[in-house]
Amino acid sequence: MSFTESEERQALRSAVADFGARYGHEYFNAKARAGEKTTELWTEAGKLGYLGVAVPEEFGGGGGGIGDLAAVCEELAAVGCPMLLMVVSPAICATVIARFGTEAQKQQWLPGFADGTLKMAFAITEPDAGSNSHRLSTSIRREGEEWVLNGRKYYISGVDEVDAVLVVARHVDDKGQRLLPSLMIVPTDAPGFEFQPIEMDIVSPEKQFTLFFDEVRLPADALVGSPDAGIGQLFAGLNPERIMAASFSTGLARFAMAKATDYARTRKVWDTPIGAHQGLAHPLAHCAVQIELARLMTQKAAALYDSGQDKAAGEAANMAKYAAAEAAKDTVDQAIQVHGGNGLATEYGLGALLGATRVGRIAPVSREMILNFVSQHTLKLPRSY
Amino acid sequence: MNIVVLVKQVPDTYSERKLADADHTLDRDSADAVLDEINERAVEEALQLQATHGGEVTVVCVGPDRATDAIRKALSMGADKAVHVSDAALHGSDAIATAKVLAKAVGTVEGVDLVLAGNEATDGRVGALPAMVAELLGLPALTHARKVEVDGSTVKVERETDEGVFFLEASLPAVISVNEKINEPRYPSFKGIMAAKKKPVSTLAIGDLGVDAGEVGLGGSWTQVTEAAPKPPRAAGQRVEDEGDGGVKVAEYLVGQKLI
Ligand SMILES: Cc1cc2nc3c(=O)[nH]c(=O)nc-3n(C[C@H](O)[C@H](O)[C@H](O)COP(=O)(O)OP(=O)(O)OC[C@H]3O[C@@H](n4cnc5c(N)ncnc54)[C@H](O)[C@@H]3O)c2cc1C
Repeated sequence: MSFTESEERQALRSAVADFGARYGHEYFNAKARAGEKTTELWTEAGKLGYLGVAVPEEFGGGGGGIGDLAAVCEELAAVGCPMLLMVVSPAICATVIARFGTEAQKQQWLPGFADGTLKMAFAITEPDAGSNSHRLSTSIRREGEEWVLNGRKYYISGVDEVDAVLVVARHVDDKGQRLLPSLMIVPTDAPGFEFQPIEMDIVSPEKQFTLFFDEVRLPADALVGSPDAGIGQLFAGLNPERIMAASFSTGLARFAMAKATDYARTRKVWDTPIGAHQGLAHPLAHCAVQIELARLMTQKAAALYDSGQDKAAGEAANMAKYAAAEAAKDTVDQAIQVHGGNGLATEYGLGALLGATRVGRIAPVSREMILNFVSQHTLKLPRSY
Repeated sequence: MNIVVLVKQVPDTYSERKLADADHTLDRDSADAVLDEINERAVEEALQLQATHGGEVTVVCVGPDRATDAIRKALSMGADKAVHVSDAALHGSDAIATAKVLAKAVGTVEGVDLVLAGNEATDGRVGALPAMVAELLGLPALTHARKVEVDGSTVKVERETDEGVFFLEASLPAVISVNEKINEPRYPSFKGIMAAKKKPVSTLAIGDLGVDAGEVGLGGSWTQVTEAAPKPPRAAGQRVEDEGDGGVKVAEYLVGQKLI
């Protein structure tokens, strides 16, 4: 058992941190506030192979694991460049296609994930089936050689900047009975597919969207893998998503922590720097403990996932995502407190993190649903719903 | 074209750098160690030259065991192989002693057409080493290059110093040191990082190079640090309230300091 990451992983972290620091939080915030995208950052990271670290080598990727991708995500967030679409495009979409796609689908999509030239959003959440994915009503039916997609999704990230959306939809039979779910690759320009932005109070270059599918006709190969693969392949993509969401949060937490400690070491209002007061030091130390625990759990989840232990990875990934989101929320809150009035000034960039860190407690799965999962699966307690 | 790049591991300029009390050598444990940034530029230049002219890029490093991290970084950027001279006897070597070892180490690489180095390391800041190595190898030294162009068997260099820009030309093989303006070094790609571990690094002791322990280290060095004191902390500045005469007061201060 080893509690340190490989030399390569550490080298990757430091290369990504150096690279990301050249952009930094000011760049990121300026783009977000101007309603622009961080395209340069994404493109360059893609060229360096940072976005495709987990794509198999035969398709031009790095041949690494989710642990490598999570390291990239965390280091970018830690220098103030949290990349929401990394949680979705290379983590969920590329993983699902690499694991369950047909050979032709892999050939078609994976090289683009490998160098970041392709972006894909992921849509599962529906207005009437948020936390309850058993109530999904978006449907597909077979007509000759085609699939026909109908339904609605909401809070789907980045749809305006992706090539396609990986949509979770359920098969319906002739009698309208809803059956197993499948994953459909839907190009954003498919006729009958429309999307509208949702106004959000989050400072982020990525926007959220409501999606409408009205008799969207898709070719046979739009369905990933085989039609009867069922829920298993969906979950295969959700573990990486949770590991990535956790890394997104620990990265943001580290970013806020660095700002808080820099400030606490230098700001003086009496004779000692404010960081000497235990009223500020102890909450920061508490956050530091939370961050390290969450990082350790995230790395464990990634190691389990990368060694093929899906079930054990599921529990660890959920726990990591929970812990990381709480750590990020607490650290940003405390960092703002340490900064006094400056904590809410635009210049210091901390207020902008309030929304971004709260997302971690809601998406991709809420903290309550994780606690439900732990209650039922780990603690074998009865369920209320 | 086969290129050797001399690289050095230095304490990160962002960390607090200290000298050891006992012998005034660098306290390596007190700071994070990184590949010197100017060396990243030298490696970048070598890789760019390799892209047009072919051949192999070899990294040569004299430094303790942990300098392997700096070597790996250069390999992850794209260099092909490395020679690492690590020997306890080297502790405290001055520029001349280090140059002797480097020259011998360069000699272990076959068919070298060009030796590239940074013009000055961020720690010692002696800035004489590339010229010393050139002298020991009997090769022309083209220092402070902001631009390098190879054409057949000649190399053209734009040398920039405080005095101005010089246009130099020499025949290969030659030694060139580069300055900050030469290029922007690349970030190691993920594939580069993964490949670096598999690239050959030959680790040598000074005995393997035929260097005698008496010629290097604290004892074998020509220069000796007899005393060192930390830089005094910067004194608090003088505050000037601007009551409409701020400009005059600033000018008076500068005149007082004989700065204007
Ligand atoms: C910024 C952002 C980006 C997102 N990006 C995507 C995306 O790209 N793709 C995508 O598919 N979705 C995305 N989502 C959606 C996200 O996954 C959902 O918002 C989340 O799963 C919660 O669903 P809901 O909003 O419908 O809340 P609801 O399910 O309505 O839940 C509301 C509250 O009730 C609680 N609750 C519900 N049921 C229970 C229960 N049984 N026990 C205890 N508490 C319960 C929840 O925890 C929550 O606090 C995104 C959301 C946000 C905010």
